[in-house]
Amino acid sequence: MSTTLPTRTEQDAEKPTGELVLRDVEKSFGVGENRVTAVDHINLTVKPGEFVTLLGPSGCGKTTTLRMIAGFESPTSGSVLLDGEDMLRLTPDRRPMAMVFQSYALFPHMTVFDNVAYGLKLRKVPAKQLKEEVGFALASMGLTALADRAPNQLSGGQQQRVALARAMVVKPKVLLFDEPLSNLDAKLRVQMRLEIRRLQRLLGISSVYVTHDQDEAMSLSDRIVVMRSGRIEQVGTPDEIYRTPESVFVADFIGRANFLDVTEASTSSREGHADITVLGQRMSARAHRDAVAAPESVLLVRPEAIRVRRFAEGDDKVAGNHGRVLNAVFYGESVEYEIETEVGTIVAVVSDPVYDEIVPVGDLVGISFDPERAWLLPAAS
Amino acid sequence: MTISNATVPRARRFSLRSRETPLDLTTRIAVVLVVLILGVLIVLPLVNILSSAVSEQGLAVFNSIFSSVNLQVLQNTVVLGVLVGAIGTVIGFLLAYVQVRLDFRGKKLLHLLALLPIVSPPFAVATAVITLFGRSGIITRDLLGITPTLYGLPGLTIVLSLSFFPAAYMNMLGLMRSLDPSLDEAAASIGANKWRTFVTVTLPMLVPGFASSFLLLFVEAIADLANPLVIGGDFTVLSSRAYIAITGEYNVGAGAAYSLVLLLPGLLVFLIQRYWATRKSVVSVTGKPAGRPAVITSIPARIVLLTLSGLLALLIVTIYATVIVGGFVKILGINNEFDLSHYRYVLSGIGSDAMITTTALALIATPIAGVLGLVIAWLITRKLRRGRALIDFLGMLGLAVPGTVLGIGYALTFNKPLGFGNVAILPALAGGGAVLGGAIAIVMVYVIRSSPSGQRSGVAALQQIDVAIDEASASLGASGVTTFRKVTLPLIRPALLSGLIYAFARSMTTLSPIIFITTPQTKIMTSQILSEVDAGRFGNAFAYCTILIVIVMSVIGLLNLFVRDSSVPKAAGLSSATIN
Repeated sequence: MSTTLPTRTEQDAEKPTGELVLRDVEKSFGVGENRVTAVDHINLTVKPGEFVTLLGPSGCGKTTTLRMIAGFESPTSGSVLLDGEDMLRLTPDRRPMAMVFQSYALFPHMTVFDNVAYGLKLRKVPAKQLKEEVGFALASMGLTALADRAPNQLSGGQQQRVALARAMVVKPKVLLFDEPLSNLDAKLRVQMRLEIRRLQRLLGISSVYVTHDQDEAMSLSDRIVVMRSGRIEQVGTPDEIYRTPESVFVADFIGRANFLDVTEASTSSREGHADITVLGQRMSARAHRDAVAAPESVLLVRPEAIRVRRFAEGDDKVAGNHGRVLNAVFYGESVEYEIETEVGTIVAVVSDPVYDEIVPVGDLVGISFDPERAWLLPAAS
Repeated sequence: MTISNATVPRARRFSLRSRETPLDLTTRIAVVLVVLILGVLIVLPLVNILSSAVSEQGLAVFNSIFSSVNLQVLQNTVVLGVLVGAIGTVIGFLLAYVQVRLDFRGKKLLHLLALLPIVSPPFAVATAVITLFGRSGIITRDLLGITPTLYGLPGLTIVLSLSFFPAAYMNMLGLMRSLDPSLDEAAASIGANKWRTFVTVTLPMLVPGFASSFLLLFVEAIADLANPLVIGGDFTVLSSRAYIAITGEYNVGAGAAYSLVLLLPGLLVFLIQRYWATRKSVVSVTGKPAGRPAVITSIPARIVLLTLSGLLALLIVTIYATVIVGGFVKILGINNEFDLSHYRYVLSGIGSDAMITTTALALIATPIAGVLGLVIAWLITRKLRRGRALIDFLGMLGLAVPGTVLGIGYALTFNKPLGFGNVAILPALAGGGAVLGGAIAIVMVYVIRSSPSGQRSGVAALQQIDVAIDEASASLGASGVTTFRKVTLPLIRPALLSGLIYAFARSMTTLSPIIFITTPQTKIMTSQILSEVDAGRFGNAFAYCTILIVIVMSVIGLLNLFVRDSSVPKAAGLSSATIN
C-alpha cells in the first residue's frame, strides 16, 4: 500500500510545488426542504508556500472547506486540485497533505517518538533515516527530552507541538490546521502561532489554517479568507482586510470598528476617495468603489484612529465632534474610552497614555480623526 | 448485564461534520454479514416463537391467560421479580456506596466478592443455600434448631437476589463514580449537613440508577429457569411453566406462548433502558469528576455500613466455601467425612465429557462472539448513520431476550432442517438427529448470548476515542485497515479483553437456553449439574460447580496474559487529549 503514497523526493524538485486550487466547491447536506448549503461555490487558489487562513464565525463553512481539502468530506460539486492533480478521487490517506487537529489527536498508546514516526513508518522510511528525521523534528519543536513520554504525560502545548511535528515530518505538500490553538491558554497561543509561522516559512509548505480568532489570522497569514454563511466575503492580506474591508461584516469581524453615519456622499476628485459629511464636517475619505453609489453608506473608523482631547470651555460645539466619557479603562500600553456622542457611542483607543492625562469618566472630550485612516463602506454589506 | 451503555446517543456529534460519503466496500460487506448472522442467530428463532405462539395450542394459552391457574403463575412471576429487583438493588447499592465512599482495609477483596456470583454456575448458590439454610440446613437446624421451608418464594428470593445483585452493583458503582463530588460540596457549602446532603442531593441523583438496576434484576429474575426448577417447589413461574409445557406436556405452542409473555417485559425494559441512555438524564454531568468523592468519616455511619457489608461478604464467602467443601465430603452437613468420590464421578466418564465439551464449545464461541460484537460496535459508532439504531438493537437482543425464550426459539427453529419450501439451506442443528450432536446450535446460543457484551464494551471504548484520531492516522497516510490495526485495535484492546472474559464466563455458566437444545451426545456441564441437583446428589453438583469456577478463572487468567500487550507506553490509556 505504500507504493502509491506520495514519495518524499517530489519535494526536492526545483519548481516549488503545493499549489492548491478550489474550484466552485459546494457542500450541501440533507435533501428537499431540509437542504442546507454549508459551503457555497468557493473559488480559491493557495500559492506554493503560501499561508492562507480561513476565518469566520462558527457555522460559516470554514471547517467543512478544510475537511473537503483533507478528504474527510466530499464536495457536492466542484473540484479540488493540487498541482493540477484531482484530489477528489483520492481518499484522505492518499492525499499528500497532513492535518493538525484541534484536539491534537495524538495516538495515546504510542510514545511521542512513535507518534512522530508513524507517518514515516507508513512510508517505509529506512530505520536510520527515520530516527534522524524524527530526531530533527523533535529537536526543532524542543521535544527531544520528551521523546519517550506518553501523550497524556504532556501539557496541552507540548501535545500540540508533537501533533505539529508529526504532521510536518512527513513533508506534505499542504499542511492543514483545524483550529489547532483553541484549546491552549492565551499566552501559549501567542507563542505557538509564532512557532507555527517560523516552521512553515522554514519548510515552505503551503498551509491552510482554520480559525475564528482574528488575532491568529492576522499574525499567521499571508492571506486571509473571510467567510460568512458558506461564502467567501473577502480574500486579502491582513493589511487589506483590516484597512479596506469589502463589507461591514468583514470590518466588524476583523478588529474593532466604529461605524459613523454619513450624509451627502459624493464622488471626490481624488482617486479612490469620496466627499462626505460626517460628525458635522465635510471631508474627503478613502472609499470602497461601491460606497458612493450605495443608497446609504457608513464610515469605518478604527478605535486607534480616533483622537481624543480634553474639551475646553471655549471650543465650539458642532454636532458629533465631542462627547462625554462613559468609561475609561487603563490597560497599561493603552487606554480605552467609551464616549457617548450625539451620533452614538464611539470607542477610542489611545496608545502609550500618560496616566495623569487620562480623561475621567463624565468629562467632555473633543473627537477627531484623520480621514486618510477612515474607510467609507456601503451600509448594507 | 447492564444493557444501557451500548446505545449510541442519537444526536451525538451531529453537526455539519456528518458523514454522507457513500459506504466503502468493506463496510457494505460487514453490514450484510452482520445482518445475515443476526438474522439467523436471533431474529429467526424469535419469529418462530411468534408464529408458534399464534398456533392453535398457543392461542389456547392466551385465551386461558386469565384463568386462575395461569393468573397464579403470572402473579408468582411478578412477585418474584419485584422482590428480587428490590432486594438485589439494595444490596448492590450498599456495596457500591461502601466501595465509593468508604476507606477501609479489604476494599478490593469486597469488590471481588461482590463480582463472584457472575462467574459462578447457576446452581452454586441454590444448592449451597439449601445445604446451609434448608429444612436440615447446617445453620438453620444444626446451629439454630429451626426447620424453615426454603422451597418456593422465600428460597427463590434469597437465591436469586444473591445471584443477580452484581449487575446492580456494577450499575450503581459506575454511576456513583461518575457523579461530580462538587455537587455534594456545593450542598455542604450552603449549609446542608451530611445526612441532608445524602437525602436531598446524592439519592435523587441516583434515582435513575436505582430504577435501571431494579428493572434489570426484575427481568433477570423472571427470566431465570434454573433456580425455579431446583428450589421453586410448587411455586411455578412463567419460565418453569414454559419448561413443563415443552418437556413434560410436549406442547410446543403453549411453551412458545408462555415464553412470549416472558419476552415482553424483557424487551420493554431493554427499550426503556435505551431511552434513558439516549436521553442522558440527570446523571451524565461532566464526565470528568472534579475530584474524588468525599470519604465518609462519621463513626456510626461507618459501623453500620461496614457491619452490613461485612455480613454480606461473610454470607457470600460461606456460600462459596460450602460449594468447595461440599465437593470433598460425603454429604455435607450429614456425613462430613473427607471423600473424593464426587470428583471421581465428575472427573471421569460423563463428567469429564461434559467438562471438555463445554469448555471447548465456549472457547470456540468466545472469539466469534468477541469479533461479532466488535464489528457491530465499529459499524454503529464509526460507519453507519442510517440503520445504525436497528443493528444496535438487533445486536443487543441476544442479551435482552430471556434465556428460556431463546432456548425454545432455538428448539423450534433448528430441530429440523432449515429451508424455504423444499430447499434445505441448513441441516438440523439442534436436537437428537442434528449434525455434530447439536453442538453447532449450542455454540450459536453461546455466541448470541455473549456477543452483546463485546458490542457493549466495544461501543463504550470506541466512543471514548475521538474521531480525529482516526482522521489523523488517515491524514498521515494510513489506509482504513492500517488505522484499525495500528490505532483503533490497540486502543480498544482492554475493552475487547473484558468483553471476551465476560463472554466466556457467560457461555460456561449459561443454562436456560441450553436445556432446550442439549442432546445426549453433547453434554453440557450446566445441564449435568441440573440433573445431579434434581437427583439430590448435591456432592456431585458441588464438585461440578467448583470445577466450573476453576475453569472460568483459569481461562480469565490466560486471556489476561494473552491479550495484554507490553508495547503500550506505561502511562498510556485514554489520555485527556483523546477524550473529547
